[in-house]
Amino acid sequence: MDRNATQYLIVGGSAAGMAAAHTIRSHDPMAPVTVLTDETDKPYFRPMIPFVVSGKKKSQDMAMEGCGPYVGKDIFVKTDSRVVSVDTDSHRVFLENNQVFNYGKILFATGSRPFIPPDIKGTESNGVFALRTLAHARKMNARAAQTQHAVLLGGGLLNLKAAFALLERGIKVTLVVYSPQVLSQLMDAEDAVLIRNALDDAGLEIRTGTAAVEIESDNSGVRGIVLDDHTKISCQMVCIGKGVRPNVEFLENSKIKLEKGIVADIHTACSQSDTFAAGDVAVTHDPVSGKPVMTALWTNAVEMGRCAGLNMAGLPTAYAGTFGILNATQIANMPFVSMGLVHTKDLDCEIFRSGGQGSFRKMVFSSDGRHLIGMVLIGDISNAGLYRHVIQGKKLVEKFKHHIIGHNLHWGHFIK
Amino acid sequence: MPQPKEIFVKTDRCVGCMSCMLACAVEHSQSKTLFGAIAEARAPKSRLYVEWAAPDRKIPLVCRQCEDAPCMHACISGAITRNEDNIVVTNADKCIGCWTCVMVCPYGVIGRNMDTGKAYRCDRCPDREIPACVSACPTGALIYETVPEYSKSIRKQASQEFARAEGE
Repeated sequence: MDRNATQYLIVGGSAAGMAAAHTIRSHDPMAPVTVLTDETDKPYFRPMIPFVVSGKKKSQDMAMEGCGPYVGKDIFVKTDSRVVSVDTDSHRVFLENNQVFNYGKILFATGSRPFIPPDIKGTESNGVFALRTLAHARKMNARAAQTQHAVLLGGGLLNLKAAFALLERGIKVTLVVYSPQVLSQLMDAEDAVLIRNALDDAGLEIRTGTAAVEIESDNSGVRGIVLDDHTKISCQMVCIGKGVRPNVEFLENSKIKLEKGIVADIHTACSQSDTFAAGDVAVTHDPVSGKPVMTALWTNAVEMGRCAGLNMAGLPTAYAGTFGILNATQIANMPFVSMGLVHTKDLDCEIFRSGGQGSFRKMVFSSDGRHLIGMVLIGDISNAGLYRHVIQGKKLVEKFKHHIIGHNLHWGHFIK
Repeated sequence: MPQPKEIFVKTDRCVGCMSCMLACAVEHSQSKTLFGAIAEARAPKSRLYVEWAAPDRKIPLVCRQCEDAPCMHACISGAITRNEDNIVVTNADKCIGCWTCVMVCPYGVIGRNMDTGKAYRCDRCPDREIPACVSACPTGALIYETVPEYSKSIRKQASQEFARAEGE
């Protein structure tokens, strides 16, 4: 049995883990920082993996080391290192490969994994993917070479990106969405019309209000898929994008408090001394609603990872909480931003919608109209960061509310 | 390490002539001349913005080079780095046009180039001693100085005003 010791041990080598590692390094130049990742790849920018599917970029193009803020020196990253259990009393972790690590302080940043609905038959067939890791992306890329038609289950952002990666390769893509509209996590159905139109124009076939029942396969892999309305689609690839679940199983026999994810306090600390959690796996609080949330967002994971890094390095820092929804992207040449409270169907709030040729916006204010609590911008997303600043800072909007509604807010409006 | 210079904005001096925006766009054009820039197929873009606020104030907005740059940390492709001169720069080759930086910049000073699908921002004019916007400002609303220099000038100005008021 190999024994190792490190002052800072980080379990998980993606956004939260690496942000924490580099933050620790910038405040503690000497102490050993070790990152354990169960992937075979060195840390990379996970949101970039659809480019590997499309073939536009290579694995090495998305490596994290030396890019952006990830420039800290002497961070030891061990790949192929899966942690199977943790003993917080003796400050030790046990790996699948029988190695043992002693730590001073530990961060759990194990992220999440795709949820595979158990009620769909045949999900273990060759050619069924849930795009999460670079390794998945490479396999999907290889399978795409023998695919004429792909069916994607779920209408979230990841599946839309995967859909476009496949479309770019000339593959016919059908998106099967159980919700009444795509991107139902990020906006109400009636607000997604522009995006839906853009997706239709781009040649994506979308079936809403339906779910998959069974994936059919033979020895060459996936052959087709059966939907709950008994229609059958012939296809050679299926991609499942039905949300994620936190990777907490390795802590089930530990003393760490779990509530679906790992419970983290305002200083990102867990229930045992010298333990911290950040990223997709951590349960934190939404600054708008105050409710416990787990988010699976790169930007949030980095922010929380940095906060955990500061706390671990001995600089007590409160985590300001995060939006459950905080997304910007561009699909089918249509940029959009969605943040804060955007599902307003049963919400007591004040809403201003406005749309024109190729653009749409929805501004959501609290019921008393004094705070901005959410917004959706489609098309013209300029200055979106200012609205984030207003929402997160819980600013009284009185003086510049008409600028928010008119979407012409600028920093000058905040200067006294 | 010598003190780095920053771009300071004196909003009370800005008359809204937009000379800074013009100079910025020219500096970031192919030809770097006004007439050449006008003729370019893709109109060069300014990286700072003169905004107006009631009752009648003009406010030049320029990248603040945040110490904790939210854009750099939020970037999902590693395109934004702080270079050896401490300037936050966007690497257009790495930028994938996801606009996450636009979503997190509280100053609204990251632009979107719809022709190239890339984000662009102030680069402090690496080829120039003094950034083009500062050189072009006719009223001294944009100032390029180190923090100690600038705060000294503010103190001096304040004490002069104080002395003048005393003398009255």
